[in-house]
Amino acid sequence: MPVCRSRQYLAFALASLATCQGTAYGAATAASLSGPAAPFRTPYLPSNDAETLQDVPSALDPAVSEMRALRAQLDAAPRSFPAAISLADTYVAYGRQVGDAHYAGYAEAVIASWMAAAQPPTRVLVTQATILQYRHQFGAARALLQQALRKDRGYAQAWLTLATLDMVQGDYPSAGKECAQVTAAAGVELGLVCSANLRSYTGQARQSLVLLHQAEAAGENAPVNYQAWVQDLMSEDAERLGDWPLAEAHYLQALRLLPHDNFLMVAYADFLLDRARPKEVMTLLAGHEQSDTAFLRLALAQSALHSEQVGRYTWIMAARFQALALRGSDFFGREQARFALELQHDPQAALDLARRNWQVQREPWDTRLLLEAALAAQQPQAANDALAFLQRNKLEDVIIEPLARELRTKLTAADGAAP
Amino acid sequence: MNIRTFAPLVLSALVLGSTARAHSASDAYLNLSMDDGHRGGTFVVHGQWDIALRDLDFVLTLDDDGDGRLTWGEVRRHQADIERYAYAYLGFTANSGTRCAIRPARQMIDDHADGAYVALFFDVVCTQAPVRLRLDYNLFFAIDPSHRGIFVMNNGASVATAVLSPQNAAIDLAL
Repeated sequence: MPVCRSRQYLAFALASLATCQGTAYGAATAASLSGPAAPFRTPYLPSNDAETLQDVPSALDPAVSEMRALRAQLDAAPRSFPAAISLADTYVAYGRQVGDAHYAGYAEAVIASWMAAAQPPTRVLVTQATILQYRHQFGAARALLQQALRKDRGYAQAWLTLATLDMVQGDYPSAGKECAQVTAAAGVELGLVCSANLRSYTGQARQSLVLLHQAEAAGENAPVNYQAWVQDLMSEDAERLGDWPLAEAHYLQALRLLPHDNFLMVAYADFLLDRARPKEVMTLLAGHEQSDTAFLRLALAQSALHSEQVGRYTWIMAARFQALALRGSDFFGREQARFALELQHDPQAALDLARRNWQVQREPWDTRLLLEAALAAQQPQAANDALAFLQRNKLEDVIIEPLARELRTKLTAADGAAP
Repeated sequence: MNIRTFAPLVLSALVLGSTARAHSASDAYLNLSMDDGHRGGTFVVHGQWDIALRDLDFVLTLDDDGDGRLTWGEVRRHQADIERYAYAYLGFTANSGTRCAIRPARQMIDDHADGAYVALFFDVVCTQAPVRLRLDYNLFFAIDPSHRGIFVMNNGASVATAVLSPQNAAIDLAL
């Protein structure tokens, strides 16, 4: 069993731990922890019984009581597959809603005995794939989805999940075929949204919006999750086209449908940060510090406001990334690259992280960060692959386009200057 | 097919939309330190085990009034439950095969970057000084296989470290 030994002082113990686990250890986090002292007390005994130590899911939250009821049903019938899969899916959905990875682990435990079977049920394969994808284990997730589709070619959920995975990784031709399969298996409404999502990445943001309007009209009585999904995609399209009032209207509509949804709040926070409205980010995300993604946006807002709290937020964010590295967790390059670039002001570390991230994840934000880091580090050639990718797929994006233009100009100038 | 029937599909579609995000999973921090180790015929290792309050709330429902705010009073009332639960998943065995006793000392609160943790202080007491000590760690693995125990052992100037996981739940410590 791997116990690593090293003759180092305690201050370095954690760093050596990451190294000996073979975990790639972000230069950004390594540097930051040698900075200011931890803004925490040593272990203590609170003096007052009424002191709040930790926010936890409230029993008054209907989603929490639903999870507890489903858990009780499963505990009463531990071999019941319907009880297990509905609890697992509820955990996954709740974890996404609040931005808490614990629930992916709880879901995994609930379906573990079915996953261990020689022929796991297809629903279990897809739920497990969703959990792996959430953890950025894209290759393993893809393999499970393909296994599910070998068993059931008409399984719409597996096609939709695979299409999303391919869009995240920038394989748009495959995603196009998979959206067609979604339409064949589940009907035109869902296929419409899949296809609209794809068009948003491939130079057809206006057509995407038209399709989403159709989906919006067709889905008036659809589940609120579906409606919020459509609204979110519309705001992303509008953002890419530079129509800020339209983007904001759709973000707000999505948040009316799913208030406090971590994914939507963070997307809207990014919009507000881009529009130089950091104060509104503080209000929007107050009380959601537990989520790492929300916390990063709060830190960025503090920085934009030149608040005295920036140091504290930066330290905590670095420590959270370090905890991820320590546990041998998977790489969350987008957030780490942005942190290195905007809060640690370390363009080289940001570029290294952004390049590594871009190898596995190619959503517009991933590409944008790579371009921004390449510019900040004055290494335009580092963006070559991303620039070719943009040209090939014709991504429309009013924020990314000027970055790409600037990089192309620098590359051309460098070519001209070369002997 | 009507959209109404898509509820489970759409649920997952939104889940997927959130793949590109960072998240905190469950960690606990187990630190052992040895002074000279010997106490009048017995052998003692000091331990500090930090476990997240939100993880303990999930298994023990510490938030008695269910208001979503875990207070020191609520934690204090559950100290015995926390101790009983946690120590059931931690074991030390000397190379002779004899189990070493865990003697809980005190509980405090320790703040980490992702929230408040209970800090369990304890001594591991072995009747004879072992050459090797086996650590068995199974906290939360049955309910959350993504839980990790971040283990650090300080032995004079030397530091040994490991990440405890379902695949790596037992480790041998050379003393």
